[in-house]
Amino acid sequence: MVQAVNGKPISDTEFNTLAMLVFSHQYQNNKPYQNFCNAIGTTPEQIVHWHDIPALPTDAFKADALPLITFPKEDVQKTFLTSGTTTETKGQHHFPSTDLYDQSIINAWHELKLPEPTNAIFLIPHPEHSPHSSLSHMMGVIAQHITQGSSWATDESGSLNLEKIINAIKDNQPVALFGTALSFLHLFDLIDSPLQLAPGSWAMETGGYKGTRHQLSKSELYQRFETKLGLPSDCIVNEYSMTELSSQFYSRGLDQAHQGPSWTRTRVIDPLTNTDAKPGELGHLVIYDLANLHSVMAVSTQDLATQDLANQDQTNLEVSAPCFNLIGRDPTALPRGCSRSSDETLSR
Amino acid sequence: MTTTQERILLLTEACSHHEIQQWTGAITAHDLHTWVISELGSNMALDAFLAHGPLQSKAIAPPCILHIVSGNTAHAAFQSIIRGLLIGSHNVVKLPSAGLAKLTNALKHFPSALRELIEIRSSLEDQDWSRADVIIAIGSDESIAAIHQHTKPHQIFIPHSHKVSIGLVYDDFEAAAIHAARDVSLYNQRGCLSLHAIYVAGDSERFADLLAIEMGKFSQSNPAESLTASEAGAIRNLRESTRFRSSNDPEFRLLESSDSLDWTVIHDPSTLLELSCLNRCVYVKPLPSELNTAKLGPEAEHLSTIAIHPFTQENAVSLEHLPAHRICPLGQSQQPSLFWHHDGFAPLASLVKWKDIG
Repeated sequence: MVQAVNGKPISDTEFNTLAMLVFSHQYQNNKPYQNFCNAIGTTPEQIVHWHDIPALPTDAFKADALPLITFPKEDVQKTFLTSGTTTETKGQHHFPSTDLYDQSIINAWHELKLPEPTNAIFLIPHPEHSPHSSLSHMMGVIAQHITQGSSWATDESGSLNLEKIINAIKDNQPVALFGTALSFLHLFDLIDSPLQLAPGSWAMETGGYKGTRHQLSKSELYQRFETKLGLPSDCIVNEYSMTELSSQFYSRGLDQAHQGPSWTRTRVIDPLTNTDAKPGELGHLVIYDLANLHSVMAVSTQDLATQDLANQDQTNLEVSAPCFNLIGRDPTALPRGCSRSSDETLSR
Repeated sequence: MTTTQERILLLTEACSHHEIQQWTGAITAHDLHTWVISELGSNMALDAFLAHGPLQSKAIAPPCILHIVSGNTAHAAFQSIIRGLLIGSHNVVKLPSAGLAKLTNALKHFPSALRELIEIRSSLEDQDWSRADVIIAIGSDESIAAIHQHTKPHQIFIPHSHKVSIGLVYDDFEAAAIHAARDVSLYNQRGCLSLHAIYVAGDSERFADLLAIEMGKFSQSNPAESLTASEAGAIRNLRESTRFRSSNDPEFRLLESSDSLDWTVIHDPSTLLELSCLNRCVYVKPLPSELNTAKLGPEAEHLSTIAIHPFTQENAVSLEHLPAHRICPLGQSQQPSLFWHHDGFAPLASLVKWKDIG
């Protein structure tokens, strides 16, 4: 499986073959998942297409007593946790090693032809300070394997250090800023006058405004990137993923579809009919990620999206790379009582 | 300026209209008289100075009440407006961003003398905030906090934030299941008084089976409103999460309407109070020998109503230690008395101020 994501883009036929193998492996070795599959009457012998692999909701990762692993529990080397308040149950994603996870990040970067920055500035906690954050881990992999130089602009508590950012850009060399949408908003609050970034600079933002009252639209957020950093929207990459996955999806600029690496596929499911939503119609995103080898490859999210068939044909890959237009976290995703609402957005 | 008696007659006339009565329930003039007396001491308290110890006192209604209502159901909005009208205040009603057609349509049936006391707003101007003597806010905890920041020290602020209700069943499962199905299903579970979980003494799994049957029956006679894609997604997510749990733990059980999302009953062995995703999805849980906030978890602080069966004074008083402001018979959680203390507030007395002579 490591080789599967370590070579050239995976074709549709190869994906299906690998998906069947991964499903069979997970069915046999992941007992809680096997029980779920049995309960709905789906076994590896019964299906021939990846569409039919049973997807688990992300909430299944919160069941502490039912770890979703295909390997002995004592072999867990790394666990990523979903973010949330102290009273919320956190989702857990366990790994026997992060080799495949790291390869997925690196290979997707190259396969999707994402820019390779010389100087990266990270506005999120260093992985040593946030060992259970999949996002911090990802940034650590980027720092180690993709960028030539990097600096971390947060302290141990996660607070932004503006001085570090100013120092990192003073050489007037192009930089790439990596952070959550919220961390960028904090940065924008800290600076009175716009930062002067060298031509060729760009930014990658991810996630939403979890646990806050921020309700900024993406276009409003990108407008602030332009005002505060001089970065037009086509110099901003959005990364979408979640703790429960091992691969990432990217879009560039406004109103552009997200694209994933060739070892992923997506479906958009109309929850009213529980079937594929018609092109352009809203549904919940279901992700099939071969790099999720050690847990479950099919994960149903509560993120709203539309399937993007127009862009799917225009990708630079010779495969049916998944494309979807991400709308965001379904506002009713969290259980609620009378009048309850939440600022929860994309979870990671 | 109308008298209390005149307003009572106007309100009685309004509440006799079926489109209004579905939200307010049947309200008689006698009910309103008795209500004013119970809260203000006399049904003349707003009209004249009356003896109050060595003084003479008169209740002064706030000239203007600002009601900021939520979109969950129209009930709380109606209750709030009727309280304002009864004491003779002018009422500015801020609707949720998506509007509240059920409220605005029904208000058309109010007598003109009452309609003149109501102004509907889709957004608020500075003057709406500044002219309000009382601000009643119904909404999420976050909304309430944001609204509170707008209030001035001289303004009375009455918050009705996120609330959740539960049922308790001690015995008589068959009857209790019928009552519980009603309390869960009415208004698609969108109100503060909708039950999210039923705690059962004894064989909770058997009760879950009975409740599932009654939920199905109720659904047939009272079909649920159509769901949005988001609502349907929330139900499917809850069902699949529960299916995962139940496939690994026989104490978890998922009972669901087949080929539809009409209703969902989940038997969950944990006593922790979890919020349903609404739209007729309910948890059935074992009733612990000692029910307290520790057993219920952090949602306990948001308890509004506990509906119990069988309802006895002894059973009700035994729950006094819980944060809920209302303990009522199962089957009546969605029909609070006119006299109820909404979230612990005396609904009329908390609006007025008093003027003394002597």
